[in-house]
Amino acid sequence: MLELLSFGPNGWGGQLLMGTAMTVAVAVSAFAFGILVGSLGASAKLSHSLALNVVADVYTTIVRGIPELLVIYLLFFGGSGVATSIASAFGYDGRVDLNAFTIGVLAVGLISGAYSTEVIRGAVQSVPFGQIEAARACGMSRWLILRRVLVPQTLRFALPGLGNVWQLTLKDTALVSVTALAELMRITHLAAGATRQPFLFYSTAAVLYLMLTTISTALFNRAEISANRGVRRA
Amino acid sequence: MHRHPPVSDSAPAAVAVEDLHKRFGELEVLKGVSLTAREGDVITLIGSSGSGKSTLLRCINMLEIPDDGRVVIGGESIALKKTRGGASVPADSRQVERIRTRLGMVFQSFNLWTHMTILQNVIEAPVHVLGVPKAEAVDRARMLLDKVGILAKADSYPVQLSGGQQQRAAIARALAMQPKVMLFDEPTSALDPELVGEVLRVIRQLADEGNTMILVTHEMGFAREVASKVVFLHQGRIEEEGSPDKVLTNPDSDRVRQFLSRHLSGAA
Ligand SMILES: Nc1ncnc2c1ncn2[C@@H]1O[C@H](COP(=O)(O)OP(=O)(O)O)[C@@H](O)[C@H]1O
Ligand SMILES: [Mg+2]
Repeated sequence: MLELLSFGPNGWGGQLLMGTAMTVAVAVSAFAFGILVGSLGASAKLSHSLALNVVADVYTTIVRGIPELLVIYLLFFGGSGVATSIASAFGYDGRVDLNAFTIGVLAVGLISGAYSTEVIRGAVQSVPFGQIEAARACGMSRWLILRRVLVPQTLRFALPGLGNVWQLTLKDTALVSVTALAELMRITHLAAGATRQPFLFYSTAAVLYLMLTTISTALFNRAEISANRGVRRA
Repeated sequence: MHRHPPVSDSAPAAVAVEDLHKRFGELEVLKGVSLTAREGDVITLIGSSGSGKSTLLRCINMLEIPDDGRVVIGGESIALKKTRGGASVPADSRQVERIRTRLGMVFQSFNLWTHMTILQNVIEAPVHVLGVPKAEAVDRARMLLDKVGILAKADSYPVQLSGGQQQRAAIARALAMQPKVMLFDEPTSALDPELVGEVLRVIRQLADEGNTMILVTHEMGFAREVASKVVFLHQGRIEEEGSPDKVLTNPDSDRVRQFLSRHLSGAA
């Protein structure tokens, strides 16, 4: 039976490995996209512009208020249409087809971004204002303050929360399997059906996901320790 | 007792504040304050809590933007304009940034950057704002840390230092910009009593070296020793100003007299 998991001609080992790699690729891209969206979302929520506040609130309310699977369906069936109209607004006439990978990254990234928005906003607010004032008093420009004081300090306060968002994001990639993208969940599903050994393959998938989350948690912990130099005594 | 020598009226003005007004919403905190610090002056600002001392100091380096009046640093007037909403804002943020490099500020709560070592705190602005080569900035930073007595802590993080050490690091950070004027806002008020002396000693040395300083303090004995001029603020106006001997010993104003009787009790 374990031959089914091997890398031999009858085994699914190679496919499972590819699926795991695809899962990591979707998760990393979606998490990165989510941090970008989350930084913009947090800036919008913290800005003095009422319009930006509202836009950011609508975004996080919608994404957090509807099932994540639905976000993926909405992007799968509506994403290409939206992308086509955006492209035509910029003067491009053809049809834009988003592939399954892009849709997966966008969908999971938007979900991830909604959580990152809250994490980053909280982190920015935790930065002691006196440290920003000290930077201004030295003649630092806004950009320099952002780069040298605000971002490093925010990152430090955001890391624990972003670690949680990363775990959610990694697990949410499984939802992308409904678009037939060959990530770990999709491959597992196919193998389970083809071999009639569903429990074997689903438990294998569980172990693989657990390995990914365990390794990444360890990495986040190390990043936290190094970012926390100066906060707690070493 | 040691006394600051009087500064000549013909010395050039390092900081001039003219008819400064500042409101926070309905509350008018500064109601027309004019003040000149000449080169070599050590001005101590005293007055009850809430009288506007911090606000005045923070208007000098534009951490607060005055609603009316002028701030002139080394002869250069800081240009302000009004927004459509009527708020006062700097006309040119570059000018404000450039002028701030000539004003060293020391806060009550130190405000060191906690993600950087003490040395990194001290070289940060010289390297990234003034463009001083890193090696040169490090040499100068070490010299300054030695001067304030915490060279051994150069590679520590702020959290590893006592309050007095952190404040001395903050003073070194301000000095690293080679400012024309130092501004101190109650630099010892957040310290445990036994740590006050080490910080005052550093400030006194800076005064003795002829640095121009404006200092908000509740340490009346210290104010008397280091000040060339004492300014008493009351509800956003200057109630009395003059030599420390005059204002702190024989003031014209009853308010100053009452204030001193409350604050001089412990001082020598
Ligand atoms: N940012 C601010 N917003 C609103 N009110 C303020 C602000 N800063 C100071 N104030 C008020 O202005 C008055 C003067 O404050 P401050 O200049 O800090 O006085 P001092 O330093 O003499 O104790 C106080 O009533 C204070 O509450
Ligand atoms: Mg104050």
